[in-house]
Amino acid sequence: MSMDDKTKEFLKRTFREFYYKNSSKIRAPIRMNEREFGFMSFDKVMIRHLSFQSEGELRAFLIKESPHSVYYSCAYYHEPTLSMDEKGWKGADLIFDIDADAIPTNCKEGHDSWVCKDCSFMGKGKRPEICPNCTSTRIDEESWVCPSCLDATKNETIKLMDFLLEDFGISKDKIKVYFSGSRGYHVTVEESSLESLDQLARNEVSDYISGTGFSLESLGISKGASYDDMYRLLPSASEPGWRGRIASFFIDLEFEGYNKANKDVRDKILYVYSKMGYKGFEDFIKEIVNNLSVKIDVMVTTDIHRIFRLPNTLHGNTGMLKKKCDNLVSFDPLIDAVVLSDEPIKLFVTKAPKFTLKGNSFGPYNSEKVTLPLMVSVYLAGKGLARVVDNG
Amino acid sequence: MEIEFGLEDLAKYPFLKEAGDYVKGLSLSIEDLRQDDYQPALKRAKDRVIEAIQKNFISIEISEPNLEILSFPLALILVKAIGIDYFMQKYSLAESLRAEKLLEKEKKPIISNIFKSAFNVDLISSEHNFFDFKMSMVDYLLRAKHFHKPEWKLVNRIVEKGFVYVKTHELVRLMREEIRKIVYERMKSLSLPKIPENVKEVVDEISKALPQVPSKELQEVTPGMFPPCVMYIFDLLQKGQNVPHYGRFLLTSYLLEIGKSVDEIINIYPKAPDFSERLTRYQVEHIAGMRGGRKRYKAPSCRTLMTHGLCFKDEILCDRIKNPIQFGRKPVMFKKKKTDDQV
Repeated sequence: MSMDDKTKEFLKRTFREFYYKNSSKIRAPIRMNEREFGFMSFDKVMIRHLSFQSEGELRAFLIKESPHSVYYSCAYYHEPTLSMDEKGWKGADLIFDIDADAIPTNCKEGHDSWVCKDCSFMGKGKRPEICPNCTSTRIDEESWVCPSCLDATKNETIKLMDFLLEDFGISKDKIKVYFSGSRGYHVTVEESSLESLDQLARNEVSDYISGTGFSLESLGISKGASYDDMYRLLPSASEPGWRGRIASFFIDLEFEGYNKANKDVRDKILYVYSKMGYKGFEDFIKEIVNNLSVKIDVMVTTDIHRIFRLPNTLHGNTGMLKKKCDNLVSFDPLIDAVVLSDEPIKLFVTKAPKFTLKGNSFGPYNSEKVTLPLMVSVYLAGKGLARVVDNG
Repeated sequence: MEIEFGLEDLAKYPFLKEAGDYVKGLSLSIEDLRQDDYQPALKRAKDRVIEAIQKNFISIEISEPNLEILSFPLALILVKAIGIDYFMQKYSLAESLRAEKLLEKEKKPIISNIFKSAFNVDLISSEHNFFDFKMSMVDYLLRAKHFHKPEWKLVNRIVEKGFVYVKTHELVRLMREEIRKIVYERMKSLSLPKIPENVKEVVDEISKALPQVPSKELQEVTPGMFPPCVMYIFDLLQKGQNVPHYGRFLLTSYLLEIGKSVDEIINIYPKAPDFSERLTRYQVEHIAGMRGGRKRYKAPSCRTLMTHGLCFKDEILCDRIKNPIQFGRKPVMFKKKKTDDQV
């Protein structure tokens, strides 16, 4: 839905005021002048290839422009303002994006819906690729992020941390975890030797974390081999990496007919293999790997020129902050990343389900005029679900 | 850190800079090669070259370390003097295969020293049953990313605290390309001295003993002029390695576009491990638009190649080109307008 000018102006004014009051909290990323900056205005115009020389300059820019979104490159360049071919790539932070969209959760059936633009056929849950009624691909989606969606992204982020710390040996102080400001988490690894990895190498990193291409042979299972040979090659739970992860999974697995609790896990793996056969076991391992892997957006991790939302800036779709999570487990995005005030604003809300923000619950709304706190107003207006009716 | 190698080691691995230093220390001049003392080394150099080019391999027996060490730079001079890039490529590969064979049987501390000296790679001896070494993930990925078999994928390796475990033969395989490059670059940068008559004779003898370059056309298609992506595929074929489907498409469509005929192109393929002339002809003719939909395919764009992981951009030579076909041509002036994907 396109946004009316009055609502755009309202959002922009709100963001400006926030940046003005909180300018000291806007921090320059490390090696700021080697990075490219970009922003998107509330008119959805994207400007890239900017560069800032000081924190002050960046702060002044945000107050002046108060954009919908502010981005900075994960890459370091010799000349960040030149065109992509001329920038001179030096290296890039390793970055990860975990978004609720990519994680299948049961709650989606409850709060997501879609409608075909061609035949108006509607449905609940995640948007299908093609309309089941008229096979059109022009489908509008209305998705919502609920606490369960966000919990699911948090769990993925916790899994990712294990890969980064244990498998890749990245020290904790180089890993920064942020709530993205909208639908999930961003993880950034700065100042590590992985900075030099090119796109091909990052494909391998993202395939590792997402479990893509895992082969049964690497577990020690192969078609022609004898059980004795395979036993020798199977993993133990104390092993590092994927083999260890899978062995640990088998330790906890309850499998019908197997009750030799004291035996080595390899015995159990072979038992399951013998019952399932090669094909069945292959599918079973695929499922396990899928469960143990992390649902990262591989396009983000493998793009060495990516621009990423700047920490401590507002997300134009929600008015929430991209906020650093010092304690990920206890972090509650719907409380901790909500930073706007509760000043009352008069709105016309087209449609919104029941939801909570900063501990209070709101909605559902259906084409009605309401007065809501600023933080909620921006949350709805940013998504295009409400417009301001008064200057507020 | 100063690494010590014995003469035996230098004889086995004459591409090491320590071997080069050793030869330099002898203060020989090319004129000295007239002397009888050096005829055995010249003979060994000649054998090295002929064996390399005829059999794709160089024997690993070492009769006398001094002679063996010296024969390496002499062999480089001989190959360079033949003056055909194709043989330089072939020779470099044979040298790297020889080193590979020797390294596979090498003692672990020597392997570590060689990797430090030649590639600046730190190896740590592994305490893991199945593996001999571990190396940093970055060092591993830098090389393994070009390999296509599943066992090289990081997800199929044991990765622990930023290290990847490897067996000696895997480690050595990882470095083949680098050793080949070291030898090739050394030869390329060699400025050929004025060669004494007796050495010239050896060059002539070698030239006579050499096989025909597989196809005249192939030689005309000087690989030196290929863009890095095409060169990569071409190299894989030369080494008899399996080439991914999209790589074959790239090579074929590229060669067609620079004006090579179907037959010329088919002649390049016999080295592929799974070669079938009938199938290759069908595929090449298909891309040439002589079969099926009669559509003549153009070489894929740099961007598409990047998606397929086949772009090995040369920062300078590939500058401003959008399609491998533009490589080496006069830079085309076009307006730079880039629509970058955001976020």
